[in-house]
Amino acid sequence: MPGEAGKRLKREAYKKSINNEDQNTSLPQKRFYRQRAHANPFSDHTLAYPKSPVDMNWATHYPAYSVAQEKEAENAADDESHDQDQTSIKAITKNVEIADIGCGFGGLLFALAPKLPDTLILGMEIRTSVTEYVQEKIRAMRAQNSSSAYSYQNVACLRANTMKFLPNFFSKAQLSKIFLCFPDPHFKQRKHKARIVSYTLNSEYAYVMRPGGIVYTITDVEDLHKWMVDHFEKHPSFERVGEEEQEADECVKVMRTETEEGKKVERNKGLKFVACFRRCENPPWR
Amino acid sequence: MPFPYQCIQARNSGEREAAGWTLFGACGSRLVVQSSGGSNFVWPSGKNNVSEEKETEDDTQERPEKRIKLSHPPEIKSNFCCLSLSNDKQHIVAATAEDKCIRVFKIEPDCRLSELSQRCMPRRPCAIAITSDDSTILCADKFGDVYALPLFPSLEEERSSTPNSGHNEATTEKPYVPAASMLTVHSGRNRKVLEDQMKQANLGKKKTKEPMQFKHELLLGHVSMLTDIAYTTIDAGVEGGKPRSFILTADRDEHIRISRGPSQAYIIEGFCQGHEEFISRLCLTGSGLLVSGGGDDYIYVWDWLNSRLIEKLCIRDTVIQFARTNPELAASLLADEASFKIAVSGIWSVPHDQPKVRSSTDIVYMRLSNHLQGDEILVACEGIPGLFRFGIGGTPGGSAVGEAISLDGNALGVVFVCPTTGACTAVVSVDNLHKPGSTTEVREQEGPFRLQYFSYQGDHWEADTVVGGKLNWFSSRALADTASVANGQDAGSDMTVETEKARRAADEKAVRDILYGIANLRKRPGTED
Repeated sequence: MPGEAGKRLKREAYKKSINNEDQNTSLPQKRFYRQRAHANPFSDHTLAYPKSPVDMNWATHYPAYSVAQEKEAENAADDESHDQDQTSIKAITKNVEIADIGCGFGGLLFALAPKLPDTLILGMEIRTSVTEYVQEKIRAMRAQNSSSAYSYQNVACLRANTMKFLPNFFSKAQLSKIFLCFPDPHFKQRKHKARIVSYTLNSEYAYVMRPGGIVYTITDVEDLHKWMVDHFEKHPSFERVGEEEQEADECVKVMRTETEEGKKVERNKGLKFVACFRRCENPPWR
Repeated sequence: MPFPYQCIQARNSGEREAAGWTLFGACGSRLVVQSSGGSNFVWPSGKNNVSEEKETEDDTQERPEKRIKLSHPPEIKSNFCCLSLSNDKQHIVAATAEDKCIRVFKIEPDCRLSELSQRCMPRRPCAIAITSDDSTILCADKFGDVYALPLFPSLEEERSSTPNSGHNEATTEKPYVPAASMLTVHSGRNRKVLEDQMKQANLGKKKTKEPMQFKHELLLGHVSMLTDIAYTTIDAGVEGGKPRSFILTADRDEHIRISRGPSQAYIIEGFCQGHEEFISRLCLTGSGLLVSGGGDDYIYVWDWLNSRLIEKLCIRDTVIQFARTNPELAASLLADEASFKIAVSGIWSVPHDQPKVRSSTDIVYMRLSNHLQGDEILVACEGIPGLFRFGIGGTPGGSAVGEAISLDGNALGVVFVCPTTGACTAVVSVDNLHKPGSTTEVREQEGPFRLQYFSYQGDHWEADTVVGGKLNWFSSRALADTASVANGQDAGSDMTVETEKARRAADEKAVRDILYGIANLRKRPGTED
């Protein structure tokens, strides 16, 4: 396809140009990062992911929170013995607590991060270009605000297939909030196992969440909304958050208005379906 | 010609007959049984196999040249991929790959197998486990799900009405409404697709997959192919607490998940993380440690309850060392040593000391006392004519890397039988069809024996002739005349040289597919989105 090649060339030229300018503070342009809105979660993408949460190098994503330099050097030396001193290898002073799974172009991240300046927020996205865009935007936002009180140091984004590798990034009960905003609806019945919410996958969300933590879901597809509600409600680790509490939650408002898809649906005069679920305590052994 | 056994199982019957044992083998689509008393059995017995009858009918009508075509691709026989013995040793559960079927057999006193049930799963079973109370079969499948099925399906043919089954839910009859609407699509092309969908909907309902017609429950699922499953029960560790059961599952994406037992399987207790390649086998040792292996250079030993890695044992070095001792093997395996890759195909815990009292419930009580003694495991790798001994977690010095046991063919399976009280003999299934050290090259003349025997001498394994003598029929003669795996026809019916050749090739391909699938689990670099 001639158009395809031209597009690629333009993208390469663009990315080269932003790399050349040191300390570039201009925001990336979305048109150079667009990517097909679907990815197959079952295929073996060439993904980078840590063997376990302990092996994750968070300091590159949250440099402002990185622990002292000499400690980092020490960690590099004993790369193999990760069961010895778990905390020293983590390399950041606090853990990620909020995950935006399928963060897309990062609308929610950039709206939420200033509201929760002391909480580390991570966007996770399976599409390479889209992830690059968000990372580029984080870099620019940090540079633009470097002299102000708040400079987006608590937000990061990485490429991941969370359906397969969520427990590689987060340890048991680490997260307090998970966002699932406008996920791929996978309309075909045959593709339902590819949906980001399913009874079996909910066990993994429950594993990485602390009791009391909340999963936020929003979609414009009523069918998918019903599916998500159905699958979370039948999972004993979750209970649905009541309407009143849901509407009072600041995060719900942000999710409705600030996500890219949310805005698109707004323009299209579409409907938005919201549902939140609280992680319950594990019951005693039976 | 006899084909190798892809799976073997053994039972040691304790009290009733002193020191009696029974061996079960799966050879293609057939099961072979022999007992220490000498009785034997082949399933399916005789000519009552429906698919075979159909085949012979076809043969009489078709012209010869067409038969060649008929004999391979369209003819799919279901080959056994898993064999599991119930804890009471009265039943054997067998899964077949192609038709995704789980069969439960009762083992009659005279070794006959009577088929009690046949249940077809939605996805291909990869591994099965049976709960220690013998109530439930746990079936791990290719799509990452684990289903619980009662060992004995209840008589009333109840339709699947399980609250927990996540998908394949029967949808109620409603006029078709597409999940998307004009409000949810944003591009012109999607809008057109939606319009097409609406048109299609009016033409008629699509047929959906038939839901499972028997009682089943979806317990848990990975978003990855499952490769092995283990079930175990341990003491609660609290006064008066009931024993706790766990389901351990391994997948192709390096995960070992520890979930609670069937009644609370939705709760994940932890993950054992550290593998860098696919995992293919899990093995719980007598003292309760977990050993895992797969595409990595190492075997991993876990304190699985605390998600803690205890040690890594280098299987790759052990295998290379072994290959070096045999010039032929060294030439074929180590020609390009840097790219030599391991694919662990089996890990077995050697039942030391009192194999008779060893059942899954006894393990609970033996756990602490056994811990200091340490365990011994045997490891097999795909396409390697040897077994590798490792001592685990015994002395403070850690694990001992023991010697390799050389075999006449690639190792396929190991079971342990007790010819006399306190003794232990490993019965090893070997590949008599392929050249030792190769998963693709066929021998000029297949080996006459499909089993080898080694008795445990405390510090080494020695060739055993006593058990071997009793298993001669099983090893060399069983199914030797019913030649073909690929099409299940009788040998000796008149055939041209060409059809014979074609059939032979198809047979070899079929056997290869059954025996050697593990190396294929490795991810291929460059398969990009």
